[in-house]
Amino acid sequence: MSIELTVHDLTLQYESDPILDRLSFEIPPGRRVALLGANGAGKTTLLRCISKALQPSAGAILIDDRDIESLSPRALARTMAVVPQETRADFDFTVEETVTMGRLPYRKRFAAGEAGERAATRRAMAATGVSGLAKRSIATLSGGEKQRVIIARALCQEPQILLLDEPTANLDLGYQHNLLELITRLNREEGITIIAAIHDLNLAARFFDHLLLLSGGRILAAGTAEEVIAPGPIKSAYGVDAFIFRHPLTGSLQVSVRNEKDGRPGAARPPIHVIGGGEEALPLLEQLQRGGFPLSIGPVTAEDSSHRFALFYDLPVIKVDPFSPVSDEVHRAHLALIEKAALVVVPPIPYGVGNLRNLEAVEKALEEGRPVAIFSHPPGAAWDFTGGEAGRILKQLKNKGASVLKERDEIMALLEKEPIQDEEEG
Amino acid sequence: MRQKKRQINFKVLLYPALLLVLIGAAAVAVSVGAVPFTLREIGAILLSPLGLPCGEIDPVKKDILLQLRLPRVILAGAVGAALATSGAAFQGLFRNPMADSYVIGVSSGAALGAVAAMLAGLPPAWGGMGMVPLFAFAGGAATLILVYRMARVGGEVPVMPLLLAGIAVSAFLSALVSLLTYFSDEKLHQVVFWIMGGLSGATWAKVKMMVPYTLLGFAAVYFYSRELNALLFGEETAHHLGIDIEKVKKILLLGSSLLVAAAVSTSGVIGFVGLVVPHFIRLLIGPDHRHLLPASALLGAALLTVTDTLGRTVIAPRELPVGIITAILGAPLFLYLLRKRKKLRYFNLSE
Repeated sequence: MSIELTVHDLTLQYESDPILDRLSFEIPPGRRVALLGANGAGKTTLLRCISKALQPSAGAILIDDRDIESLSPRALARTMAVVPQETRADFDFTVEETVTMGRLPYRKRFAAGEAGERAATRRAMAATGVSGLAKRSIATLSGGEKQRVIIARALCQEPQILLLDEPTANLDLGYQHNLLELITRLNREEGITIIAAIHDLNLAARFFDHLLLLSGGRILAAGTAEEVIAPGPIKSAYGVDAFIFRHPLTGSLQVSVRNEKDGRPGAARPPIHVIGGGEEALPLLEQLQRGGFPLSIGPVTAEDSSHRFALFYDLPVIKVDPFSPVSDEVHRAHLALIEKAALVVVPPIPYGVGNLRNLEAVEKALEEGRPVAIFSHPPGAAWDFTGGEAGRILKQLKNKGASVLKERDEIMALLEKEPIQDEEEG
Repeated sequence: MRQKKRQINFKVLLYPALLLVLIGAAAVAVSVGAVPFTLREIGAILLSPLGLPCGEIDPVKKDILLQLRLPRVILAGAVGAALATSGAAFQGLFRNPMADSYVIGVSSGAALGAVAAMLAGLPPAWGGMGMVPLFAFAGGAATLILVYRMARVGGEVPVMPLLLAGIAVSAFLSALVSLLTYFSDEKLHQVVFWIMGGLSGATWAKVKMMVPYTLLGFAAVYFYSRELNALLFGEETAHHLGIDIEKVKKILLLGSSLLVAAAVSTSGVIGFVGLVVPHFIRLLIGPDHRHLLPASALLGAALLTVTDTLGRTVIAPRELPVGIITAILGAPLFLYLLRKRKKLRYFNLSE
């Protein structure tokens, strides 16, 4: 039933630079393949060659060892269906009429109606969840509904290969997941090979079992998400530094892109030390990093988000073992790190016996005349797990002259208002 | 919800309603004129060959009805149907609400052929075929082939170049027609009257020649109405649905050009029928060509029957060319439709 797709030495060249450059790959039956790559990498062009909408300059595309050149449009449409990126349909065909058009490759010209036509239409509408819209005009549907109808029409062709060009590009978050879950189900239950050009690497990693990364019309990397979504290939394909991690809930690979510093070029910014630990520190770190301030990060465990941040941007960081109190050795290292900073920032992080000693280090910095900014905890948040000890110390710090900030943006205002002296230089 | 219900009712009632309109128009058209007929007389004359007892029949009146009125009404109906169907097909094929036989040059080509035949002083008939219609058809077909070749890029004929080439060729051929008209001297009246569009001088011979072409053209277009529907979604989508685009385009172009040539050669240039009628039907029942094409044919037939009747009665005994009347009625109607253009969005035009 299922079918194998082979692309052999495929080249498409209009004038000088080839758009597709001797591409060769095989897609075994029943795969879910995501085509990745920057804009202009050749994803859409490749899809259009596979669907025979474009004639390649050289090379061949085989479906189960048959060259698609030898297949009639009708025969091809029974094997392969295409869902374009966007279907503009401002006319009053009903959903049912639109889906039934998927039976065109099965229709005999002078026959009154193909036997399975109604059944196939009903099945396709049920599979995509658009049965309830059957009598609605497609002009009245939302983008997500319309996309489902177009997929229903494609299913009505009873294809073995389904090509999708940026199927989620114009959809909101809910519809994106809905749609990818739908095509995953079609792949699992009906064995339809899925080939989709897709921009969102995170969605690709989560919903596809085989990834093909294109760049300049060539294959840069191919394989599982683990093989393709790696800093090296992503840097070559998209020209950005990527940070790869696992999604905390799904465990699928996620990509995050390193910020470019938007600080004034050349302007030296005073170094800032941030007491890490807990998700609350992250947005603040992000903001300061973007502002171009040299950062260091206080004692955190290896699993902490602030630690990942420090590794990604290659920042000085002090690492502690999980679930253990701060040792003397770590404490000394922490003090040494604070020494180099012009400002110590305390984000609204939770405190337990493990990290209480960090506040001691902050207190010492304050006593030595180093500016300290403390973010107050949002009301109602549970953060003090030391039986009131942390609260007492924080209050004491504030009394000793630490600035108290409420909103994240206030840190920038503080840094603008009273330029903090960089100790090493002045 | 209310609108949806209304549309379903329209589809059910449309064909009987259009048939009634057409029969009514034909009945009126046959009965009015210099020699008026009552419906009773018409019935008697038409049924007399069946040997039914119909009472006295005036042989002169019988001749007027059977040899003058009837062929004229049938011809008017056939020309209207051909123009409206070709308009609907061109608009669907080009996904352009402004497309009709003028835009791609077929009408001008046919007109040039016809005028050339008149001015060359060719014998009026040759082997049972009228020379003017023959030349009109040749002119229309030659223009279509020319435009099609000029728009060809590689193995494909994209719609936009086809439209542009058509407009350019059409303008050029219209200029040639004007030039020929300018030098037509004593044949000026004949040429100008033919160009303005008219059905005077209808005979059964013309009916026999015109109707088969119309039926053939209509059949070619109608059998591809599903493909026309798919083409509304764009050529690439139609290709993905298994349609051999280039082949289907050729058949549709040939079929609609056949319709145009048949109409133009019979009655000269008659505007607005091909433009207005399909739009009006779309407003009633939507874009589905399976209904759009036959319904346009019926309404086009009725419309031209009525306007032709007006043409030969308003300033009787003189005749007003029917092309003038369709333009006078059609242009304001089209402007009215344009005002309601929200409902004209059947062509994926961005607003």
